[in-house]
Amino acid sequence: MGLLTILKKLKHKEREMRLLMLGLDNAGKTTILKKFNGEDVSTISPTLGFNIKTLEHRGFKLNIWDVGGQKSLRSYWRNYFESTDGLVWVVDSADRLRLEDCRKELSALLLEERLAGATLLVFANKQDLPGALSKDAIREVLALDEIKTHHWCIVGCSAMTGENLLTGVDWLLDDIAARIYTAD
Amino acid sequence: MQFRRIVFRLQGAEGMMLDTICQYLCGSFLWFWMKWFLRQITGKCELQRICQGYEPGAARTTRIENSLKSSKNKVLQDAVNVKEDAVEGCVTQIVKEKGIKEQKDPKFKVNLHKCLIQISGYNTLFTTVEELRKEVFDSENEEHEKLLLKLWDLLMPAVKLESRITKHWGSIGFQGDDPKTDFRGMGLLGLVNLVFFSENYTKAARHVLSHANHPSLGYSYAIVGINLTEMAYSLLRSGALKPHFYNTVAGKPHIHHFHLFYCYLAYEFDKFWVEEKPASIMEFNIYREKFHDKVKGFLLEPDVSLILKIDSKNFPDD
Repeated sequence: MGLLTILKKLKHKEREMRLLMLGLDNAGKTTILKKFNGEDVSTISPTLGFNIKTLEHRGFKLNIWDVGGQKSLRSYWRNYFESTDGLVWVVDSADRLRLEDCRKELSALLLEERLAGATLLVFANKQDLPGALSKDAIREVLALDEIKTHHWCIVGCSAMTGENLLTGVDWLLDDIAARIYTAD
Repeated sequence: MQFRRIVFRLQGAEGMMLDTICQYLCGSFLWFWMKWFLRQITGKCELQRICQGYEPGAARTTRIENSLKSSKNKVLQDAVNVKEDAVEGCVTQIVKEKGIKEQKDPKFKVNLHKCLIQISGYNTLFTTVEELRKEVFDSENEEHEKLLLKLWDLLMPAVKLESRITKHWGSIGFQGDDPKTDFRGMGLLGLVNLVFFSENYTKAARHVLSHANHPSLGYSYAIVGINLTEMAYSLLRSGALKPHFYNTVAGKPHIHHFHLFYCYLAYEFDKFWVEEKPASIMEFNIYREKFHDKVKGFLLEPDVSLILKIDSKNFPDD
């Protein structure tokens, strides 16, 4: 291993990313965060305010902000937009009644100037539930194909089982890294 | 040398004073022999010395529990996991194992029995609470639905709910139009706690709700309640609540004692929140942790008793 490789590795280690996780209440944001961090997910209560976790993944330092999704808290979301590299939008795929609400909130977020540079990952969560819509159905309802302003990707997942969480986060990191660090 | 067993003991009979001095002088390695030595000169085993030297409650029961746990004797070790109906037999067995002469220490059996009832009661309480937590709120279940509507009626007697699914649930602090999703992690336990507080301390609960609906200092009443259920539950699970129950319930604690502890948290958290004046609801988790640390601090005090004391001037009828 040459000196250059070591230096590169060290530099790699310092790389920080700020991820903002949003979505309607009961979408599963906190459960995703905890499951990803290897914590118990059976006793989670609704989030008031926010949770922040800093964790290391693939040599990146990830600062993940999980902000409560209930209606009265949504006006505070904008306080967390600054310097966001990746936006994780979490959808309860089994909550068919509120998908329209979900679409509106997401499209409003994508108009935000301070989120303009952020990569968007949509988690179609709760795929383990019997009534859950597939990721393709969610993609259609949320009209994701119309998004031209952001890099985006949708991943079907289950925060309870952990299925596909890594797939989603890895795609997000690759996309952000390619955007931010190719200049190196 | 490890001074694992150094404990400050400010009270107690002569036997316990000797224990304390000896514990200072030797580490855990020699402790086994010291106990043997103390046994020879006092004529009593450690369990007897604890029962005589400490008042009933956490001071005694916690020491008995620790002594049993660290014993090398299987019968004594297993005693901390004894079931309530086997306590009687367990006491007899311990007396036999330790060769205790009942005539010389007639109160010992009764005292040890009381300690073991408290110890086994705490374990049973956790099992009961865990079962209720695991019970998922089910809209098809008539009992569950009744309980939810009862909560509304207790807190908002002047307002009739137009329908079961409505944005009005927001006025008692649920997140959306249907409260059922808010009970996710805490299950029925969360709802039962909310109802218990509103039913047994109705005026206090409404008073707390009025703070929660304050335009700038407000918070989501029901959601905060469920978060506090989680706090009570995790304190119970970790064993941190033992001293509180050993001090406040002479026999076996029942689930309503757990609900009473929830009431204490619900009322005290509100007071704490109002006093601290957080900038906004977004700081909830910071203040939740501060409050949690405060409660954990109280629980380290040997004479802890976290019982809700309501100012009778504010709530004359409660």
